[in-house]
Amino acid sequence: MPEPEFNEEEVLSRAAQGDRDAFGQLYERYIDRIFNYVYYRTGNLHDAEDLTARVFQRAMNHIHNYTNRGLPFSAWLYRIAHNLVANWHRDRSRRQEIPLNDAPIASSREDRPESTLVHSQEQESLLRLIRQLPPERQTLLILKFVENLSNAEIGQIMGRSEGAVKSLYHRTLLALRDQLGDQNINLEGD
Amino acid sequence: MSKRKISSETSKLDELETRLAGTLRRITPRRDFVHGLRGRIHLPPREEIAFRLHDWERLLLVFGGVVSGTLVVLTVARALFHLFGRRT
Repeated sequence: MPEPEFNEEEVLSRAAQGDRDAFGQLYERYIDRIFNYVYYRTGNLHDAEDLTARVFQRAMNHIHNYTNRGLPFSAWLYRIAHNLVANWHRDRSRRQEIPLNDAPIASSREDRPESTLVHSQEQESLLRLIRQLPPERQTLLILKFVENLSNAEIGQIMGRSEGAVKSLYHRTLLALRDQLGDQNINLEGD
Repeated sequence: MSKRKISSETSKLDELETRLAGTLRRITPRRDFVHGLRGRIHLPPREEIAFRLHDWERLLLVFGGVVSGTLVVLTVARALFHLFGRRT
């Protein structure tokens, strides 16, 4: 729920002029959202913290370049987060090219922090499927379900029209349903 | 497509949405992490650190100047004492 006394435009303008307290206010406002986005995109708490820190450090270093183009400030932050997560996935896929004999044996439970959030086996399967979706579809689902944003708000952040978001959402649901069907995961009951 | 099939498809998608809502829940980052990162954000900017360092350099120069001056005064006083002090 938006705080009535928080004037984002004014706070942004002060932050862009190097006011650290103003940037701190923006940080407090968006830290949870960015952390959740990064967490659901990586599936790893440790990397989520590391990447979230980098998002805000990068934002702080470039806030003086920020220009208000009528989009919410969060769109700018999500863009930074998206780029860092993309780099993270790219680096990770390169690391996975190490021959199997040389690769360390990963601890299956520790590398799946979502298990600490008491997710059932079916929910874990669903999370894995979500992480296999194209990045923009993952972003859409995170913004819709974790952030409870409307299609219009999601459109502003993703740079798409409300109709395009609605259509992408429907296609994403159909794709997920088909993948769940392929993996014999039942939707009807627990 | 028959009405029954459409209804079944819709109900499957509704069920999927319910599952998604139950799975994609908001999580709270660790308080230590949030506070620690906030502290790092409040570090003074590079220019300010450079300015402070520059200030330290100036302070060191002043301190060095005062110490050198004191040593010169002491040396001169000691020389004068040796020259004139012994006669009296």
